[in-house]
Amino acid sequence: MDDWLIAIIKVVGIWVWVLLIAVVMTWVERRGAGLIQDRPGPNRAGPWGLFQPLADGIKLFTKEEIIPTKARKILYILGPLLFSLPAFSAYAVVPFGDKIILGGKEIILQVSDVNIGFLFILAIGSMAVYGVILGGWGSTNKYSILGGLRSTAQMVSYEVPLGLALLAIVFVYGTFSLRDISLAQQGTFLGFLPNWGIFKQPLGFILFIVAAYAEANRVPFDLPEAESEIVSGYHTEYGSMRLGLYLFGEYVNLVTISGVIVALYFGSWHMPYIDLGAYLGPISWGIVSFCIFFLKVSFFLWMFVWVRWTLPRFRYDQVMGLGWKGLIPLALFNIFITALFIQLTV
Amino acid sequence: MDLYFWVFAAIAVLAGLFTIAAKDALPSAMGLLTVFIALASLYLHLHAPLLAIFQVAIYAGAILILIVFVVMLLMAPGERLTAIQANVSYRGFGALLGLCLIGLVAVGTKGVSDIVSMKGVPEGFGNPSIFGDLFFRDFLLHFEVVSVLLLVALIGGIYLCKKKL
Repeated sequence: MDDWLIAIIKVVGIWVWVLLIAVVMTWVERRGAGLIQDRPGPNRAGPWGLFQPLADGIKLFTKEEIIPTKARKILYILGPLLFSLPAFSAYAVVPFGDKIILGGKEIILQVSDVNIGFLFILAIGSMAVYGVILGGWGSTNKYSILGGLRSTAQMVSYEVPLGLALLAIVFVYGTFSLRDISLAQQGTFLGFLPNWGIFKQPLGFILFIVAAYAEANRVPFDLPEAESEIVSGYHTEYGSMRLGLYLFGEYVNLVTISGVIVALYFGSWHMPYIDLGAYLGPISWGIVSFCIFFLKVSFFLWMFVWVRWTLPRFRYDQVMGLGWKGLIPLALFNIFITALFIQLTV
Repeated sequence: MDLYFWVFAAIAVLAGLFTIAAKDALPSAMGLLTVFIALASLYLHLHAPLLAIFQVAIYAGAILILIVFVVMLLMAPGERLTAIQANVSYRGFGALLGLCLIGLVAVGTKGVSDIVSMKGVPEGFGNPSIFGDLFFRDFLLHFEVVSVLLLVALIGGIYLCKKKL
C-alpha cells in the first residue's frame, strides 16, 4: 500500500510541477521577449505581470469553441489531444532529484527508472507529430496542411541526429537508464573538470540541442507555424482551449527536453566539485538535489527563450540541408570518434 | 485466458479492419498507428519492453510518418480512396498476399508450442544488452544479410525514381 501511495504522490506531484513550470514559462517567454526587444512585456496583471498566464488561461477556457464548417470534425478535435498527451506523459522517465529516505524507506526521485530510459522519450516524442498532422489535415486549410507537411518532414529528419547523439551517450555510459547516467556523472573528469556528459560528448551535446530545438518546433526551426509564411501553420484554424492545448503542450515539451539535457549532459543533480550528498542528511539532500536539478533546468528553459528572440527563422531548404547534410554526418563522425576512444581506453 | 492480451488483440484487429475499410487516407493511417501501438502493448505484456519501444519509435514514429507524409503530399483533404478500394485486381492481389502471409506465419509458429509451455522468462530477457548480443554475435550473419537487403531496396528505389542515372 505504501508503495502505491508513494508512486501516486510522485506521479501527481511531478505532473503538477511540470505543468506549473510550463505555466510560468509562458510568462517568462513574453517577459523575455520584452527584455530582449527593450520593452516591458506584459506588466499589468499582478506584480511584474505574473498573473498574465492565469488571465490567458481564463480567456482561453471561456472563449467559444468554434469548429470550422469544412473541418473534418473527429480529426480536428483529436489533433490537440494527441499533441498534448505525449507531452504530458514524457516526463515519466526523467529524474528530478537523487533520492530521499523517509522512515527507512529509500525513494528515488523519478517516476519510473526503466532500463530503456530515454528510448521511451524518443518514442513518446515522435508521437507528438501526429497531433500536428491531424490538426493540419483536419482543418482543411491549405496553410494548415503545409504546416503539417513541414512538421512531418522535419520530425523525421531531425529524429535521426537526435537518436545518433543519444547513441554516443550510450557508448560512454553503457546504459539507457537516465538515473544510472545521472549517477555516473559524479566527481571530476581528467582531474579538473566536473564529470559531466558535456565534457565527454561536446559535439554530441551540440548535435543534441540543435536536433531537440527542431523536434520542439522552436525558433529557428519553427517552420510548421512560421507566422510570416503560412500564417500559423497547423493551428491556424484553432481557437479557445484547443489552441491552448497546442501552445501549452509546446511548453511542457520544453520542460521535458531541458530535463533530458540536464540529466544527460549537465550532471543532473550533482554540484560541480562538491558532493553535497555526503554532508547533508537524507531528507535535506533530497530537497537540495531537486533544487539543483531544476536550477539547471531553468537555465535551459531560459535558453529556449533567449534563442527564440535572438535568431531569425531558417528557410525550409536550409532546415532540410542542415539536418541531412550537416547534423547526420557530424553525428556519425561523433559516434565513430566515441567508439574509437572507448576501444582505445577501455 | 489473459484479459490484457484479449483487450489489446481486439484493439489491434479492429484497428486493422478500420485501416483497410476507411474511406479516407489519413484516418486509415491513424488506424494503422493504433495497430502498432496495440502490438507494442502486447510486447510489453510479453516482457519485451525494448521491442515495444522499437515498435513505437520506428514503425509508428518513422515509417508511418513517411507514409503520412506521402499521403499529405499527394492527396487533398476530402479525396476518397473508394476508386482504389473498388478495384478488383487490387483486392485479388491483396487477398493473395494476405494468404501468403498467413501461410508464412503458420509455418513460423510450428515450433511455438515449446515457447508457450515455457515457465517464466530467462534472466535479463528483453534487456538492451541481450538484444545487442543476439544481433551482433549470435545472429550477425542474418542481421547483415537483412541490412544488405535493405540497401538493395534503397538502390532499387533510387533507380526507379531517377529518369537518368
